[in-house]
Amino acid sequence: MSPKTFRSIGHFLLQIPLWLYFVVSIYPLFWMISYSLKNNDEIFVTNPFGLPTHFRFENYVNAWTQFNIPRYFWNSFVVSIISTLFILLLALMFAFAVARMQWRFRSAVRTYMLVGMFMPLQVIMIPLALLVRDFHLTNTYGALIIPYIAIGLPFSTMVFYGFLVSIPREIEEAACIDGASIYRLFLGVILPLALPAIATIAIFQFLNNWNEFTLAYILISDENMKTLPLGLLFFQGSYSTDWGAMGAVMTIASLPMVLVYLLLSDQVERAMTVGSAVKG
Amino acid sequence: MNKYLGNKSALALFLLPALLLYSVILIYPVLQTVVRSFYDWDGLSTAAFSGFANYRELFNDPLLSTSLKNGLIFALVLAVFQIGLGTVLALVCANPRTRGRKLLKTAYFIPVVLSVTVVCQLWIAMYDPTNGLVNKLFGLLNIPYRQNWLSSPTQSIIAIAFVNAWQFMGYQFSLLYAGVKAVPEDYFEAATIDGCGKWRAHWHVTLPLMRETYKFCFTIAITSGIGAFVQMLIMTNGGPGTTNYTMTFMIYRYAFMESNYGYACAVSVLLVLISLVATVVINKVFDRGQNA
Repeated sequence: MSPKTFRSIGHFLLQIPLWLYFVVSIYPLFWMISYSLKNNDEIFVTNPFGLPTHFRFENYVNAWTQFNIPRYFWNSFVVSIISTLFILLLALMFAFAVARMQWRFRSAVRTYMLVGMFMPLQVIMIPLALLVRDFHLTNTYGALIIPYIAIGLPFSTMVFYGFLVSIPREIEEAACIDGASIYRLFLGVILPLALPAIATIAIFQFLNNWNEFTLAYILISDENMKTLPLGLLFFQGSYSTDWGAMGAVMTIASLPMVLVYLLLSDQVERAMTVGSAVKG
Repeated sequence: MNKYLGNKSALALFLLPALLLYSVILIYPVLQTVVRSFYDWDGLSTAAFSGFANYRELFNDPLLSTSLKNGLIFALVLAVFQIGLGTVLALVCANPRTRGRKLLKTAYFIPVVLSVTVVCQLWIAMYDPTNGLVNKLFGLLNIPYRQNWLSSPTQSIIAIAFVNAWQFMGYQFSLLYAGVKAVPEDYFEAATIDGCGKWRAHWHVTLPLMRETYKFCFTIAITSGIGAFVQMLIMTNGGPGTTNYTMTFMIYRYAFMESNYGYACAVSVLLVLISLVATVVINKVFDRGQNA
């Protein structure tokens, strides 16, 4: 054997762990989808590993009609969309004021905002729950939306800040000479320029808010107000006899995010890992 | 120009909403937690100042040692699995001769975008002692290692930590992969030309240059291990008994189930301090390597 073929065999062998982990990463999901189309007998005894022999779509019909899934979806959607929009708006305005405007305490205010990025959520859990109670927000959308906005701000403002300081200074001069007001400068010039950063933060915050669990668990107890991660919590118990329907519920809950990811994989990965550049 | 960019009313409009919300919802509660940790307080009646009593009690609480031990195991599983295995996978995957890189990266990342509840429920099903995939797989391979994964007092914490490690592997992998890619290829080539084996070249050249990446990866792994909560809650509710308690689980229980808010605040403060110390230590360790 020539050294070259030896090397390519070596490299081929090296790739085996990659594909093994490929299976470890994907197979549980494949298993979930396939058992969502089986009945108990097939899951447990006749065919636990492979594709279903007969596609039992009735599991999906049962899951959708008997349980509160549409409601959970709607709640998650409302909470995630509203909090993401407000995070984008407030963070961009704040970053604009700190990165572009001229005033005395801007670096102190920026540092103040930075502190929040390193604050573990656990430390605000208790006072926040009491705050929400005292404002009579328990079991309303506001109980989640307001904290989600606040928690999303430090990180988003830092990303926007990093983006906005890199824009050339002449932009403001041109706007000033053209007679544009500062609001016009913000909306008509800065906002369009920041679109790439806005897209990244939008994906990041939407995913975070969509999947947030701990605060929702503490602040929401009303069945009709539960978000998707919270609503799914109790399926295990109620479905213990019907695994197929449980698989269907879980598949329905996962599908939107997986589809979004498959369509926008590069953007999603960039959004999720942008933190390493800012925090590191 | 300065007057234009120093417009006071515009400044107030741009700054205040974010600043106000941030202060009321994040900073004020942090201060509250610290202050309340020195009080005996049930959340309703007037709090009574108790000095360090909560902290003294905390250090004698058997749940604290359980929680610290579990946090450490959790962090260790994350570090070994995600960063150890993740590094190997990233190095091989970054080799230009590896095929299907896009497909591999996508497959590794999909679990990251799933809801943690779905992932936990899925793994409860997979760990099921009679019908679960994990035991069936051992049976299929004729390995006598079938067990009741989630009810073992010693192993369940590892089984649970593995679920978190599995879900967020793709995240750490993406960071590590980007880190490997950021190392200039000439460095690595120079080392191999100088007679270094590939793995030795990675060990001496690639990995040391990924210091910043590792700093971040370890910080994430260690702090999320110490603060772990959701997986314990969903998969075993802290059990069997109290064996799977973590510090966040303690906070949750003392505050929201036993209305012992002052004490729970003390646990929160300790949790933050430990996370802070861990972050500082990680930074120090990786910065010292730089000067050596």
